[in-house]
Amino acid sequence: MKTNLWGVGLVWLVAVALAWEWGAHLLAVEFHDPMAGSKLPYLHAVVSTMVENSGVLFEAAEVTFTQAAIGFAMGGLIGYVLAILMSVSRTVERIAFPYLIVSQMIPVLGLAPIVFNLVRDMNASRMVIAAYITFFPVAANTLAGFKSVDDEKRTLMHSYAAGRTTTYLKLMMPFALPPLFAGLKIAAPLSVTASILVDMLGSKNGIGVKLLYALYGGNMDIFWASVVTSALLGVASYLAVLGAEKLVVPWETASGPGDGR
Amino acid sequence: MTDRLKNFLWPLGFGAAFLGVWQMGWFHALLGLAPFQLPVPTEIVESLTLHLAKTLDDCAVTVSGALAGLVLGSALGFLAAVVATMFPKWGYGGLIVISALNAVPIVALSPIMNRWFSTGMEQKIGVVTVVTMAAMAINAYRGLTSLRPFSLDLMKSYAAPGSAVFFQLRLPNSLPGVFTALKINITSAMIAAIVSEYFAASTSGLGFGIKDNLRKAEMAMGWAYITVASVAGVILFLVIALIEKRVLRWHTSQTRG
Repeated sequence: MKTNLWGVGLVWLVAVALAWEWGAHLLAVEFHDPMAGSKLPYLHAVVSTMVENSGVLFEAAEVTFTQAAIGFAMGGLIGYVLAILMSVSRTVERIAFPYLIVSQMIPVLGLAPIVFNLVRDMNASRMVIAAYITFFPVAANTLAGFKSVDDEKRTLMHSYAAGRTTTYLKLMMPFALPPLFAGLKIAAPLSVTASILVDMLGSKNGIGVKLLYALYGGNMDIFWASVVTSALLGVASYLAVLGAEKLVVPWETASGPGDGR
Repeated sequence: MTDRLKNFLWPLGFGAAFLGVWQMGWFHALLGLAPFQLPVPTEIVESLTLHLAKTLDDCAVTVSGALAGLVLGSALGFLAAVVATMFPKWGYGGLIVISALNAVPIVALSPIMNRWFSTGMEQKIGVVTVVTMAAMAINAYRGLTSLRPFSLDLMKSYAAPGSAVFFQLRLPNSLPGVFTALKINITSAMIAAIVSEYFAASTSGLGFGIKDNLRKAEMAMGWAYITVASVAGVILFLVIALIEKRVLRWHTSQTRG
């Protein structure tokens, strides 16, 4: 079954690549679109530009990705601590929970330019915004995980005379790992997006800057190479979390969030 | 004091205290900010009331773009889920390809759409459509395929035609997932629309308003736009939650709680 799925995925990838080439061909040759090179260049052209400029692109991507990862880790940690506080103290939960819910309804990335304006330092604002975006899904999902622990399990721990710390370490925290990873999986591509957005708002380096300069300079090959690189960064961040989940929570099947219960 | 009242008063008190501290300038002292960098709440409210008509116009532009893209993207995503249900072996792999779209940063999509479409509204709708497609495809697919045990066998034993299986079994079963996706999508649609406006050819909309006012160093006005965007996001989310409550009255997820 597993190898079968890989095969299917591979066929799809090839199909998408062929469709891209064909689309570019249609645009350039059949429709004689003068903007074809910028609207949809040939995939092989984009790939060869990426290979030619791999050094520069990798350097820029590294800056963006590293800052996103640091912010992601900070936001995840703060969110996790808040979830623990909320599950320990009813009062903290009363105060913070409504704000957590509302914060999932508002367009948080809209705040990016304001944070950038306040912080002024591009590395710091990349981290702050990535952390801010990671914080909410992690806190909300982890709290939901803590709450879904059965009362009988807690009673059993209590009957063993296990203290609060032991109960959290041995029961609550392992139990809340799958929802924590569900939150992290939502947050990882978002934190990369946030980091790129800060690039584009006026940083000096990073993949977003490459993208913007290429756009204004009319260098469409580099522009498309940067777009594909950014997309790969997003996918890579998701896969990294997925890999970590497989390592940390091997007992959870690959069925994704929201299943079962 | 009853529990209900406590649930209400604690967060309200915290919010009021937060605004009070902000108003008194303690954040400025703490973070070393000048007054012009971070406007206080009264200044924000003042700018908002002064330019209310303009901000509401911009809000209408962004919301209409977000909604149009949401409808288009969700419809395409649902269609993809239906096709994937009909061809299980190949369809699931296709959904994985679509879900890879989820990881593509909005900020990278936005300049591409700027190449393809000329007006700000079209660009916005394009970005939102792509962003909302994946969540709907995956959640709808889950609902269309994870049926209750034996329900499919029962339908078969009735010799029900494929259309009956789809409309009377799969479609109702997919509704909770569809609403989950819509609730995820309404927020991402607003984010995508605003981010698209940062870079698109727009000269209106909340995103343009935020960017333009910050460029002109009208901080209070920028914050006013953020406030309007947040309120709009909450209202849209609540509207979808309300529709969900009405449509899914029969479903256990609604009756249990």
